[in-house]
Amino acid sequence: MSTPQGGGSRRPSVVSTGKKAPGSPAKPSSGAKTASKTAKATAGKGGQRKRIAPVKVSQGRAWGPIALLAAVIVFALAIIGYASWFIYQGTIGWEERADAIPGIANFRKSNPEQVAGREHQAGPLTYPMTPPVGGNHNANWQNCMGDVYTEQIANEHAVHSLEHGAVWLTYRPDLPADQVEQLAAKVRGQEKLMMSPFPGLDKPISLQAWGYQLKVDNASDSRIDEFIRALRVNASLEGDTAVCSGGITVTGSTPRDIGTGG
Amino acid sequence: MSGGRRFPTIVVALAVAVGLLLGLGLGWLIPRLSTPGDDSAEAGFARDMSTHHSQAVEMGLLAYRNGENPDVRQLGYDIATAQQGEIGAMQTWLRTWRLNPTGTQPRMAWMPDGQQALENGLMPGMATPEQMDQLRNAKGKDFDILFCQLMIRHHLGGVHMAEAILKATDDPDVVTLATSIKEGQQKEINIFNNLLAQMGAKPLQ
Repeated sequence: MSTPQGGGSRRPSVVSTGKKAPGSPAKPSSGAKTASKTAKATAGKGGQRKRIAPVKVSQGRAWGPIALLAAVIVFALAIIGYASWFIYQGTIGWEERADAIPGIANFRKSNPEQVAGREHQAGPLTYPMTPPVGGNHNANWQNCMGDVYTEQIANEHAVHSLEHGAVWLTYRPDLPADQVEQLAAKVRGQEKLMMSPFPGLDKPISLQAWGYQLKVDNASDSRIDEFIRALRVNASLEGDTAVCSGGITVTGSTPRDIGTGG
Repeated sequence: MSGGRRFPTIVVALAVAVGLLLGLGLGWLIPRLSTPGDDSAEAGFARDMSTHHSQAVEMGLLAYRNGENPDVRQLGYDIATAQQGEIGAMQTWLRTWRLNPTGTQPRMAWMPDGQQALENGLMPGMATPEQMDQLRNAKGKDFDILFCQLMIRHHLGGVHMAEAILKATDDPDVVTLATSIKEGQQKEINIFNNLLAQMGAKPLQ
């Protein structure tokens, strides 16, 4: 822009507030120069009215930094929020995590009386759910050190293992071999897990922890890992350090009472 | 309007509110960032070493009950009680770190090449189900020999895992326990080797 034009364009505002208000528009060039000189001079001398214009301009421009600051704050909050959410996800309580699994049965809530019994009883016992998820049980627990039993085990021993925090995977004997192996790979070598076939199961696979049960159709169902993660050890009624070793390793659906060769 | 106050009250109030929120968020976040996370090596070690230890507890208690040599019975007692205590410490770490006893990562994923070290789902040095059955059924001197042989392997695996976490962590509690595991089990390997020599037997290859 050339000076005359620039001066000319600004002139009206200056003129409107300046002393030269009634100045003639016939001499644009000289008028503009004079006006700007006058403006500078008056501003330099501290004329209040003249200072208003620059303040107004800077107020308008400040939206830039404010928007930038807001963006930075929002960005920082987003990072903190994401990290917090991520960490929070990892710290959700196991009960909440279990209840969030679609299809899970929580007998501790729905039928607490069915899983209230914790007495040791000899001989065969009956349970209200199949496979059982809690109640009185045999004094012997089934070894649950990642044991993969290929024969049926006694409910009375398995329930005792659940009391110690084990997750018990059961499958219908007609489950395809590759799926049985898929389950066994999760169990083998992992303390507080055990698996066994369960004749007469109404679904191909059923998972048990004390007070909890989940039945699924396929070994690749992702809820299996969720169930194990939520309930293994956590569902223990005897804390984190109840043992899975020292139990009986024999199979068969008849319970072996202590002292009778179990 | 813009006389004495450079910022309107609302802006100041908003800044204070945002500042407090940020402070609150950071205050919640920082203690959690400074403890090991769910996928950390420390958490993986605590989980896997608990499982590894639990088998040693089983073997130690078998030795306490079935060992013939008094040294074997005493070592079994020592191993079972010490390692069960350490399991308690490691499970308490996980609780303190607000983590689950079971992680989302596969076993041994925290250790470099750890997953290749798994044999049939078993962590390094762990006895197979068949070997555990053998041990449960062994009697007398046969038991003593098999126990020493299996425990040497078990300890070698345990030392290996302890060394791996010592390379990966500077958490003081983890360093203390892992150092104690490493040194204690190395010492016991020598004891088992001497016992085997006394019994005229050799370690497993």
